[in-house]
Amino acid sequence: MPRKPRRKQRPKSWPVTFSPFARALARMASVSKPNRRSKSIESSEKPTRSSTSNGSSKHTLEERPEGSESSDGEFDGVVQADFAFFDPKPNDFHGVKTLLQTYLDVEEWDLSGFADLILEQTTVGTVVKVEDDEDEGVFALATALNLWRYREQRCIMKLKEFLLLKASQEKGVGDQLRLLLGERAHNVGLLVSQRVVNLPPQLLPHLYDSLFNEVSWATEDEPTEDLRNSFQFKHYIILSKIYKHKNAEQQKRKRSDDREEEIVYVKPEDEIFHELSSWSFCFPLRTQQPAPHELKNYRSMGLIMTVEADKIPTFRQQLASLINEGWRQPEGV
Amino acid sequence: MATRLQFENNCDIGVFSKLTNGYCMVAIGGSESFYSVFESELGGVIPVVKTSIAGTRIVGRLCAGNKNGLLLPHTTTDQELQHLRNSLPDQVVVQRIEEKLSALGNCIACNDHVALTHTDLDRETEEIIADVLGVEVFRQTIAGNILVGSFCALSNRGGLVHPHTSIEDLDELSTLLQVPLVAGTVNRGSEVIAAGMIVNDWTSFCGSDTTATELSVIESVFKLRDSQPSVIVDEMRKSLIDSYV
Repeated sequence: MPRKPRRKQRPKSWPVTFSPFARALARMASVSKPNRRSKSIESSEKPTRSSTSNGSSKHTLEERPEGSESSDGEFDGVVQADFAFFDPKPNDFHGVKTLLQTYLDVEEWDLSGFADLILEQTTVGTVVKVEDDEDEGVFALATALNLWRYREQRCIMKLKEFLLLKASQEKGVGDQLRLLLGERAHNVGLLVSQRVVNLPPQLLPHLYDSLFNEVSWATEDEPTEDLRNSFQFKHYIILSKIYKHKNAEQQKRKRSDDREEEIVYVKPEDEIFHELSSWSFCFPLRTQQPAPHELKNYRSMGLIMTVEADKIPTFRQQLASLINEGWRQPEGV
Repeated sequence: MATRLQFENNCDIGVFSKLTNGYCMVAIGGSESFYSVFESELGGVIPVVKTSIAGTRIVGRLCAGNKNGLLLPHTTTDQELQHLRNSLPDQVVVQRIEEKLSALGNCIACNDHVALTHTDLDRETEEIIADVLGVEVFRQTIAGNILVGSFCALSNRGGLVHPHTSIEDLDELSTLLQVPLVAGTVNRGSEVIAAGMIVNDWTSFCGSDTTATELSVIESVFKLRDSQPSVIVDEMRKSLIDSYV
């Protein structure tokens, strides 16, 4: 089976991110990152079609955190990590559950059931782990769940209730959301994408590529017609987190003087999804984590948006160019 | 009889609560349903006290105690200390100790007769433990881990330890503790036993991810199947009344 060529290691200044905020977060997280030695690569277990690549997606990245403390004498600030994409497995339960801990804010719901649901759907869904890691830590997760197929599951019912409750406070979108969750649910996919804060953004285009590729393969490869149809998504619903500026008069500011943006996106692809979305709204979150200094004027909010499936190719293009721009940033930044 | 529950979607209930034969402590801030499970199981038999320690909710991991006493870290505030002294039964000696290893729940595993402690605990602390808790103290490791309080759950009738504990270690610990021990997991394969469950002589509470198999192991090693609280509390009461006569 042809293997995707491994990316060459490129020393570059770290962290490569898009905003001072993300850099601050990444810097904070880097101090406690364990020093991993790269091990010999074996092909990953992800079964794929031979016509396309992605047999084993390995991304070797060298990272040089600024001013991080060394826990042992050998640590010279360079962390090497080989990330690999895998199908969800039952073993990943604890890692996936940890990533989903704050998915519905502070709601008490069947989180374990939701994690199990994601892990059972092996045809569509990707889990990012480090190759040969003994701890089997899960660094990122991406999947799409058909809301009609799983409508009887307790966790999905509670999730729908949560979304509708938040939408009821927002004029106009409530009815559209109810339609999507009710009658039109056959073609609606819940796009779940969670990751550790400091995951290198270079992985994102590949992560989303593999997810949307799997969705289109599933429409042809699934054993029954029902299952095949269940992946013919027309809409994706996304539930995410953003930081919104506390000051409502942001809109008056001139672009050139704009040192503080109205919305800071925790996940870079959310900005693209937001632009392409059919509708979206924010709601306040009850968990308020202590924000880093650069974010003291911002409040964390939940964001619910829906994107039509035919906008996805545009999304993939825009995401690739956004990330690649980030790559070409000068070394000193 | 073991009950499954969770604290704000988190199955590590042993972090947010502490259970002994004489009292139960619960963290503030969880939803009322967390507290009410304890109330319904234990209410009327032993006091269920809502508290924080050092302003945090991780009460289960910061303190160590049994029916005779309760040890608190030096970070406990005066108000919390007073609140606990007021709420717990009079025969429980509540003491705040100066120990640099302040997560006492992670360093000390004890029942009403024996305690296992972290190997680096101060001599002075060891003496206070023996004195306040009325136990015999042993410095031990469990499966090579020095945080003995985290990797085992202990009652007067049995104990559950880290799954990788060897047979020889199990035998040795069992002889020291004088109770049957079993190596197992809680919360669907978690090795941090004490974070996932709390137990006393007649009841136990486990995180809701605990599988049926894990639960049956817990009920069997701690002999919870036929226990009724009244039997054990009556025994305690008899010995208390003796002291009046």
